[in-house]
Amino acid sequence: MATTAVQSALSLEEQAFADRVIAAHSGKPGALLGMLENLQEHHPHKYLSSEILEYVAEKTDTPLARIYSVVTFYALFNLEPQGEHTICICRGTACHTRGSRNLLQRLRLELGLPEESEDGADKLCVTTLDRRYSLRTVACFGQCALAPVVEVDHSIFGHMNEQALHRELEHLDQDGRKKA
Amino acid sequence: MPEKISVRIDGEYVAAHQGQTILEVARANGKYIPTLCWLESITPVGACRLCIVEVSGVNRLLPACTTPAQDGMSVTTNSEKLQAYRRIALEFLFAERNHQCAVCVSNNHCELQAMAQRLGVNSVRFAYAYPRLPVDVSHERYVLDHNRCILCTRCVRVCAEVEGAHVWDISSRGIRSMVVCDMNKPWGESRNCTNCGKCVQVCPTGAMAEKGFAVEEMVKCDVKVTRLAARRGGRQ
Repeated sequence: MATTAVQSALSLEEQAFADRVIAAHSGKPGALLGMLENLQEHHPHKYLSSEILEYVAEKTDTPLARIYSVVTFYALFNLEPQGEHTICICRGTACHTRGSRNLLQRLRLELGLPEESEDGADKLCVTTLDRRYSLRTVACFGQCALAPVVEVDHSIFGHMNEQALHRELEHLDQDGRKKA
Repeated sequence: MPEKISVRIDGEYVAAHQGQTILEVARANGKYIPTLCWLESITPVGACRLCIVEVSGVNRLLPACTTPAQDGMSVTTNSEKLQAYRRIALEFLFAERNHQCAVCVSNNHCELQAMAQRLGVNSVRFAYAYPRLPVDVSHERYVLDHNRCILCTRCVRVCAEVEGAHVWDISSRGIRSMVVCDMNKPWGESRNCTNCGKCVQVCPTGAMAEKGFAVEEMVKCDVKVTRLAARRGGRQ
């Protein structure tokens, strides 16, 4: 591994953490994925900035294009800062037939997110301007019996309807206000 | 010296070396298998699916460029079924992006177009996707038109393997796949690009072209690049 000092826009602290992560993973097959996952988890907004990707590229001698390719291939990686709370709506077939599109539409309205774009058939990941919420769609949670399924901050809610979803949002809002 | 094996191609027994792909064996024996993404001396990836062949005992079609020949293998390189599937693969390539031959720099010098003529694809039965795609004209000497790209990854491999710059790669996946320069930068801003133009020369369509050429004027020469790769030892 190259130990030369790299000109980087990252703070020294971030560089030190990145160096530790890179050292921990180097030499293993598929090291890049593990590294990127750790680095994303470490970031307060759970995303990979272009600065950090460039730093990893330089340190691990990986082409920038390769890293960008990996980061965009896996839905796990975010290139945009994520909101405090993440709401995942399942857009699988079972959930779709039980009205997951309405849930999605409703959430968009409540969070003030833009309407679905023309080519929005694919995965969606949008964050509100105040970075409170990120709204995502997912292909299937494997919980089709509970359709429609919504995941709010890593807990799964089955048989969701618009009222229940609205209540969940209010909970999150109240928690946020208490903390503040 | 690699072990000698015997393979049957279209009923003919031919000699081959262990480790050779079906495509290499077929080409060495004068058998034609259509390809778009394959380039001599460059690592094969099996992206275009035109080189599919039938192998007896295997009930699916295998890409000849990435399947190693095995002793006693019996391969069919041309049949009605194969022709039908090759045509479908080609039609999908046309339907996926905006291929407008009449206004293309590579018109008449395009491998995709030539292949369509060769395989008798004169109409596309599937609905065109008509995606809205950008054209990158930021480079001083070259243009990248995503509308004409067939994602064969020739540019990606040649840049990485022959030039060693690895400026190109494929971002996203599925229908959203795109050739991407460095960290999704405009080509002209790439710090790694050496402006060598190898990617342009190997691009089978008009997706990559030199500036200053009008319709039908862009004639490419991939042999210069593949010869260079072969002299350096070819693919490992």
